Amino acid sequence: MNWRQIFLVLKREYITRVRSKGFIWATILVPVGFAAFIGIMVFIAVWESDVAFELAIKDETGNIAESLRNLNERRYLDYSHIDVDSLRTMVQRELITGYVVITEENISDGRNPELIYSGSGGMEFILSVESDFRQVIREEKIRRADVSEEIQQIYESRISLETRRLTREGEEQDDDTIFLSFVGMILGIIIFVAIFSYGGYITRGVIEEKTNRIIEVIASSVKPIELLTGKMAGVGALAITQFGIWILAFMGLSAIAGPVAMSLMEPSQMAGDMAAVEAELPAIFNLPSLETSLIIYFILFFILGYLLYSSLFAAIGSAADSDTDTQQLMMPITIPIMIAYFIMFHTWRSPDSVLSIVSSIIPFFSPILMVTRIAITDVPFWQISLAIVLMMITFAGTMWLSSKIYKVGILSYGSTVGYKDLLKWIRQ
Amino acid sequence: MINPIQVSGLSKSFGKTKAVESASFSVDKGKIFGLLGPNGAGKTTTIRMINYIIPPDEGEIRINGEHVSPKTQKWIGYMPEERGLYKKMKVGEQLLYLAQLKGLSAADAREKIRFWLKRFSAYDWHSKVVGELSKGMSQKIQFIATIVHDPDIYIFDEPFSGLDPINSELLKEIIIELRDKGKTILFSTHRMEQVEQMCDDICLFNNGKVVLTGNLRKVKKDFGKNTVLIEFEGDSTFLDELTDVRINNRSTNFAEIRILNGLNHQQILRIAMEKAEIHKFQLVEPSLNEIFISTVGEDNIKNKELLK
Repeated sequence: MNWRQIFLVLKREYITRVRSKGFIWATILVPVGFAAFIGIMVFIAVWESDVAFELAIKDETGNIAESLRNLNERRYLDYSHIDVDSLRTMVQRELITGYVVITEENISDGRNPELIYSGSGGMEFILSVESDFRQVIREEKIRRADVSEEIQQIYESRISLETRRLTREGEEQDDDTIFLSFVGMILGIIIFVAIFSYGGYITRGVIEEKTNRIIEVIASSVKPIELLTGKMAGVGALAITQFGIWILAFMGLSAIAGPVAMSLMEPSQMAGDMAAVEAELPAIFNLPSLETSLIIYFILFFILGYLLYSSLFAAIGSAADSDTDTQQLMMPITIPIMIAYFIMFHTWRSPDSVLSIVSSIIPFFSPILMVTRIAITDVPFWQISLAIVLMMITFAGTMWLSSKIYKVGILSYGSTVGYKDLLKWIRQ
Repeated sequence: MINPIQVSGLSKSFGKTKAVESASFSVDKGKIFGLLGPNGAGKTTTIRMINYIIPPDEGEIRINGEHVSPKTQKWIGYMPEERGLYKKMKVGEQLLYLAQLKGLSAADAREKIRFWLKRFSAYDWHSKVVGELSKGMSQKIQFIATIVHDPDIYIFDEPFSGLDPINSELLKEIIIELRDKGKTILFSTHRMEQVEQMCDDICLFNNGKVVLTGNLRKVKKDFGKNTVLIEFEGDSTFLDELTDVRINNRSTNFAEIRILNGLNHQQILRIAMEKAEIHKFQLVEPSLNEIFISTVGEDNIKNKELLK
């Protein structure tokens, strides 16, 4: 192996690709798309808080309107003194969204309250009004039932599950399992897509050298193994560049998204409780920070997975004469990635099941599944190390196999190659 | 003196096909050496082994006395039969890349590229993408890519196939010029007439074996003046009456007749005069084509069509 030659190949592969229009567009468009996505979220958040639905409450019981106003001052207006006809006119003129008349029957006979409204607001509005009324009427009923305060409290209590993680060091941490599950799945999908796209770059690059008929000129200067290594390293460097840019853009955008959204909020809201404003923003602005170790593992497993598969993608390219030839030969590569991809949807839900653990250690599945697991759960270090060691060993194997196929493949034109031929080349 | 290329006992099989079988020949310094034979005779396989692209099963190849290796690759400028360039790369960058792979420093390579582009009046193409060039233009770039690192040995595999007439002439000039500078050139072809014009030495391949090798003049002389070139007008059926001859290159008023078994050429002339008017009758050395046929025997030649 001559490193100067490998470096020259690497440089060419890297520079010609990094300057290509396709690469530049993809690199720009992904963060732009992400920014647009955040922009839309901000937009939705801002508009959602802007539009106030005002409901007039004509309360004939005396308590309900006040309770509702305690729940949401901006939505419920106590219009008990105004007659129904005036309320109807107000709705028609769109001065208010709607009105509800609360009578004794709604409380004692259990008759459902009726919302008369202009029809705007949609599902979310109706559901929240419904839940408000349910709560207020129940409270009123309990109060009237003259039960002890203790029982009142029992009814009023809302039970949900608070989860906190106890680390090995004895610290308690906020638990982000649900958030991290999504992170795990997204990282898995990213690696899945990345292996296919960068692998595809390699296959097409190899085929291009064959169809351009330049391969023999190159082969008279460079050993096939040097060419293969340089190619894989060049596209690998390209992948790291692209991911580096994306990760930086992602972090930058996440950092500015919160403040930008906040500044778009109305000043009146700003004056209010900051925490309340933040709570109204979609979850994306309060991303729990990703652990550095997760990012490092992601990059490590991505690189290992890339190496493992890209050598095979190169071998396939060398055996094919055109893109269409690759379809059939691609099967042995596609199947393990697809299996890993499907298992990921199981791993995402139960990362510590036997299936998840075992398959995350199988080298061809590790790049996707181990990253998903590391993101979601606390994976024992021995499992991670075992997966890494097995991937390295497998990589040595696939590289050996691929270089044998590649060596023969790049110089054979014209004939359609099947698996039998590949076996013959390996044995040569 | 050490031969620039020395091949001894070279063999290579692909599966059950023996592509090259114990081939031996040597190329002298400062000479143009022709590797001849029909398609599929093993020329390209031999050339690839000399270029250290594929390893031989048996035998030895020495370049300037050294075993083939990445080092000897850099002493050779090679233009394969299947040739091409990266379509999306610029001419200058492409030549720089190829020259650097052959061991040149970037600065050295740039200077040589400039020289050759100017020499072929192609300097304007420097920043053009190869895909935009015409076929003839990219062939010129291909020549430059082959010779830019200024090696001592040049190998061209079927160099004239697919070239337009202008570039064909240009390549001939380059080859002769390189030889005059004391460089060694090996080229392969299945078209014998090209060899007659250019080669000093030849090596004939058939079915993976070397059937004849040596100095072209000497080879021809050894075969003796036993070929008749005849130009005539009239009835050509007399040609069919001749026995113990082989007729190559027959047309309505011309024939190349190789005399096989001591038949007197005067006798041929007599038979011809009875039927047709003779415009020219000449006794010459046999053509390389004829030498090839008589060496391997007519029945042992694969791809007879391709020979002509």
